[in-house]
Amino acid sequence: MLSAAWLVALVVLVALARVRGGRVKRGARRPLLDGACAAALRLVQLAFAAHASLQAWVRGSLAQAGLDVHELLLGGDPDAALERVGDFLAALPQRPEHLAVILPDAALRARGPPPGLAPSDVDNVEALCAWCLVAGVPRLSVYARDGGLEALVDPIAARLRDSKMAPRAFGGRTPAIRLEGAGRAESLGARLERPDLCVALWSRAHGYPALAALARDLCGAVRRGALAPADVTEARVAARLRDPAGAKHPELVVLWDGLACLPEFPPWQLQDAELVQVRPGTRSVGDALCRALAEYAAVEKRWGK
Amino acid sequence: MAAVLLLLPWQAWATLAAVALAVGLAGGRPLWRAAADRAGSVARRALVRVVRQGRIPQHIAFIMDGNRRYARRRQQAVSQGHVSGFDRLSNVLEWCNALGVGHVSVFAFAINNFSRSPDEVAALMGLAKAKLRELAEKSDLVRRHGVRICIAGNRALLAADVLEAVEYAEQATRHNTGMRLNICFSYSATDEIATAIRRLAEDVEAGRLDAAAIDERALESRLLIPGPDLDILVRTSGQIRFSNYMLWQTAKHAYIRFVDVLWPDFSFFQMFCILVSWQLAYGRIQQRRTACT
Repeated sequence: MLSAAWLVALVVLVALARVRGGRVKRGARRPLLDGACAAALRLVQLAFAAHASLQAWVRGSLAQAGLDVHELLLGGDPDAALERVGDFLAALPQRPEHLAVILPDAALRARGPPPGLAPSDVDNVEALCAWCLVAGVPRLSVYARDGGLEALVDPIAARLRDSKMAPRAFGGRTPAIRLEGAGRAESLGARLERPDLCVALWSRAHGYPALAALARDLCGAVRRGALAPADVTEARVAARLRDPAGAKHPELVVLWDGLACLPEFPPWQLQDAELVQVRPGTRSVGDALCRALAEYAAVEKRWGK
Repeated sequence: MAAVLLLLPWQAWATLAAVALAVGLAGGRPLWRAAADRAGSVARRALVRVVRQGRIPQHIAFIMDGNRRYARRRQQAVSQGHVSGFDRLSNVLEWCNALGVGHVSVFAFAINNFSRSPDEVAALMGLAKAKLRELAEKSDLVRRHGVRICIAGNRALLAADVLEAVEYAEQATRHNTGMRLNICFSYSATDEIATAIRRLAEDVEAGRLDAAAIDERALESRLLIPGPDLDILVRTSGQIRFSNYMLWQTAKHAYIRFVDVLWPDFSFFQMFCILVSWQLAYGRIQQRRTACT
């Protein structure tokens, strides 16, 4: 009855408009239509937001791939659980040689705790190192846009030096870890010529400013006559941006953010990277890394072919 | 034959007339197909009107992945997959134009795609030559809507005939003031950055620029696709990588969507969903961009 009454009222209004104007003016019709479309858009956006929340809740509630790392490690026998997880990771058909993790910076953290991360980045870096040792990933770069990680290089070094988590992840042996950050590098743990894990702390300065600095350097050489513009090739730029230890650019980038946007991660280093976003409902660093590595294992690299 | 037709009962004549009318109205297509296309067109216009009530991105980039798999699934030649991909590109450009998107960048051919089989590379070059001319000369997008075509890539790697088609398409549309279409052809992001540095070096050598004054803005302004800021990057076929495409632009808070559908199957509804989710995320993206400046 109510719907019929609204319909009748609408018809009467339209009829009145016709009678008054002789014909309905385009100028009056367009705002009405735009208003109806704007209302429809708001409804659609509400539906999308509700759907995204529901998906996040579902993902957080289900254990995926039959392997809930967080539950396993909290269970009665964490060493056996760790061995099981290690076997799972070792069985993956492919693993990255260089893993990069993008952590939220201080401004983002102030808006709410990111899923699966500890409040302290020292804890997070230690956990990431331990999981890379479990997975056999030899190089880890941890990125925070605002340089907060580089400011923590001393506490991180101290933590890794005395870490109980890292030896446990490395089968009871003390791993050789090389830590690079804030313009310096130091070896931690066992002293080996070839470290078991290289950890680099990155910030925005390693990306766009570094490219600008490289451009200034090459252009300075051109101005001095040491170089011609035609000598500025992709190969020369790539050689300057190559890792001194010969490591590849990151093959897997894990984005720890609910928003699918890169916070000015070094662009040159993204060229070969697969991107995995940490899902809402992730409960631990191990959870996120295992899932990211499982997704990476399923990737088919074609290299343009 | 005429005698046979004259002997048919009136019911047969009525049926034939109705079918002829339906086919005639449908322009030679089955009536159900014409009705479905018409309904789709009306629905698309309605959805465009709805989404235009919100913010519209100014720059969208597409990595058009999945043409070959599309062809293989249909037991077609790989070249036919690329033709289907071009048809989808035409649709997507129409959608973007209707939505009011100012700049569209598409990844048509990567530098490392030259390592594909010679037959496929030749087919892709032939397709590019033909379609660039077709776009510049005959497409409604250019003639009615004033789309401007720009080709971004390493032209030194292109054969003379392809280069001629590229330059023709750019020259023919250089005065257009509508949507700007950047076709990344023989392109890689690392080559783009290196080229920008080389352009800076040329300016320094010519005395137009002081090397000490070079900063990120100077470098960015010399990229093949300098701006505006990329709002959305879409990659089809479910792959989760950048494939060395628009890295400088993407890393600056572009909204990234990996869509698990092959490029020729990319539909307007998927485009609509991407736009609505970007509109929902826009506030957070702008907060981060503002915090960075």
